[in-house]
Amino acid sequence: MTMKLRRRIFIACCLLPGLAIFGLFKVYPTVQVFGKSLFLWTGIDDAPKFVGLQNFIDLFHDDVFLLSLRNTGFLMLAVPAVTLTVALINAAILTRAQLKERAFYRTVFFFPSILSFVVIAILWSFIYHPTIGFLNSGLERIGLGQWAMSWLGDQRTVMGALAVTMIWQAAGYYMVMYMAGIDGISPDLYEAANIDGATGFRQFVHITVPMLWEIIRITIVFSINGVLAISFIIVSVMTAGGPDRHSEVVMTYLYGQAFANSNFGYAMAIGVFVFIVSLLLALLSNRLTERRDA
Amino acid sequence: MKVRKTVPAMLALIMAFSLLVGCGSGNHSGTPANSADGNAAGATASQNGNGAEFANKELEVAVFQGGYGREYWDTVAENFMKEHPGTKINITASPKIAELVRPKIVAGNPPDLMYIAGSDNTPILDGLIKDNALTDLTDVFESAAEDGGGPLKDKILPGVLESRSMSPYGDGKIYLAPFNFGVMGLWYNKTLFDQKNIPVPKTWDELFALNETAKANGRALFTYQGLYPGYLEEIIVPSIYSVGGQQALDQFYNYDPQFWKSDTFKQVWGLLDKIANTDNMLMKGTVALNHTQAQTAFMQGKAMFIPNGTWFEDEMKDAPREDGFQFGFLGVPGFKEGDPVKAMTNVEQIVIPKKAKNPELAKAFLKYLYTDESVKLNAEKSKAVMAVKGAPDLAKPYIPETTYNVYKAVDSGMVAVSGSFKSVAKGSKYNPSDEVYKPISSIMNKQLTLDQYSDKLFKIYTDINQELQQ
Repeated sequence: MTMKLRRRIFIACCLLPGLAIFGLFKVYPTVQVFGKSLFLWTGIDDAPKFVGLQNFIDLFHDDVFLLSLRNTGFLMLAVPAVTLTVALINAAILTRAQLKERAFYRTVFFFPSILSFVVIAILWSFIYHPTIGFLNSGLERIGLGQWAMSWLGDQRTVMGALAVTMIWQAAGYYMVMYMAGIDGISPDLYEAANIDGATGFRQFVHITVPMLWEIIRITIVFSINGVLAISFIIVSVMTAGGPDRHSEVVMTYLYGQAFANSNFGYAMAIGVFVFIVSLLLALLSNRLTERRDA
Repeated sequence: MKVRKTVPAMLALIMAFSLLVGCGSGNHSGTPANSADGNAAGATASQNGNGAEFANKELEVAVFQGGYGREYWDTVAENFMKEHPGTKINITASPKIAELVRPKIVAGNPPDLMYIAGSDNTPILDGLIKDNALTDLTDVFESAAEDGGGPLKDKILPGVLESRSMSPYGDGKIYLAPFNFGVMGLWYNKTLFDQKNIPVPKTWDELFALNETAKANGRALFTYQGLYPGYLEEIIVPSIYSVGGQQALDQFYNYDPQFWKSDTFKQVWGLLDKIANTDNMLMKGTVALNHTQAQTAFMQGKAMFIPNGTWFEDEMKDAPREDGFQFGFLGVPGFKEGDPVKAMTNVEQIVIPKKAKNPELAKAFLKYLYTDESVKLNAEKSKAVMAVKGAPDLAKPYIPETTYNVYKAVDSGMVAVSGSFKSVAKGSKYNPSDEVYKPISSIMNKQLTLDQYSDKLFKIYTDINQELQQ
């Protein structure tokens, strides 16, 4: 009995610091965000004025917010979908095809993940540079000069260009995760499939994907949340929300309202809204990808 | 083969970038330590601070540490402490000074005096203005200047103290004190103009006529800091003044919706429309370039004119340039023959928060900053020119010749135009300068017509007015 009690006290003591830090740095600020979103507050005075849900009502009448929401939505859909598909296919090819250069490719594809986001953003803004950029020069070199354009300066291409950067950044990271997962699948399955005459593609669809399903589910949630965080840095450095706000995302708009426009309460309302939306998205993707037999 | 060549090149590139980033963070890492030192020193000094002249002898000063550095502040504080024995000034300096002082302001414990500049930081001043959280400084400028010769306000450049940037509420009371001033307008490569005998344009027509010359010299006529269309303010504001005078400028800055239907609007924005729609006028890809990329392209001879301010030469001192490149400042051309050339000026600001613990000493220190000795010291240590009469001449030995000439031009004949938007209502979603300047990217991309633009701004100005009246 005393042994059991002691054990419990010991466990509680071990948990306490972690819980305290979690509470102080995660729970408390989140609660504050929810609270402050109900106030009209410049972020510097000490007398915020309570306005109830007005900030949330304003959100839906704010054209710039709606535009930034649409842009973020595009990134949240397109980037995880393409990133994870590319990562999965690359992982399957690299593990199953028994390439000699396997280790080399793994390193090269993983490389973007160890670079800081700011570096990636600067690198890509030079790749897209309208005159000396790698992309436009490349197009001109192969005779497609008429396709060259200022990718980041045109409202039709800017979001696509940003999405490509984010996919390039993240694909290698998820690929390595998938490769580890594939290595854990019993080779017997593939051998049996080979004997039955299944093609590589069928093996991918019927063995690799189902066996990795739990990992894929987690990476979907990771990836959606990653987009939210990374989009802020990529957009701030590469386009500053331009041209004419066509690449504004909710995070850059939130920052602008809070720090450039002294509209802290409103910015917090945006934060709450984003929090709820990403929570819903995570739940939704979890629900949708749930396997019936599980 | 190809891969092998590009990989090391890429690696080198990446290395170079990571080095750059390394430098950047190195700069920042110094600041928290500084502020910590300042606090520690403050804590010890406050215990023995009790003198005759000032009840409280301790001053907390927060300053922006940008291109001008912090040396001036350290030195001027030392000089002040020598002249007022027993006082103790603690300087906190940072490129991100707003981030540093924000928590202190929220906690109701702001620094006694703040010099806030740099576009990352100035928004905090707008917040303080909206909150009525600044000390009235009118008495400082009404009182006699330290080195004699009438009230201090007579020493300041004319028009500055009356402007909205210093008297934000339009009630004649000064809440922000002027510090360094900058002059902005169009720049060109002086060597090119001298060698090819190109006349420096005095009107927009003359400037547009140079398009052929630009083409012949393998460059576009104009470029600007595409990602940050706010730089275009430097030609738009003086041009509004050129066409419609102070009245039009007031309409523009005070949110009179009719401005967007006026002839002034059509003429001024017509310039941009012309640049967007005439072959070779706008440098290819301008809209997608950040300020450094655009300015580098200009210095490499890809464009003939670019808007920028007196900091240009210092900012780009390490940038690549075409052979013989020399900075030349043109200002902003007039609209008709005989119109004087104009330039935009802006003045940095110093404030004393309303909740400052030691406003008396802060005011004394502020006044001290305007002494000739301090103006000269500022020029020597920061290479900057204060908004004080005769400052360019006091600064002459320390600043580059081109920069001196720009200041001198404003001193003698060139019309200086300045202004700033009236504060929008507290809680307004609109950021006036974003609303006005950001859509210009779309005009330049030919994806927005002037009519659509003016309709949009008409609505926004109407909204802002309504919010202000509520």
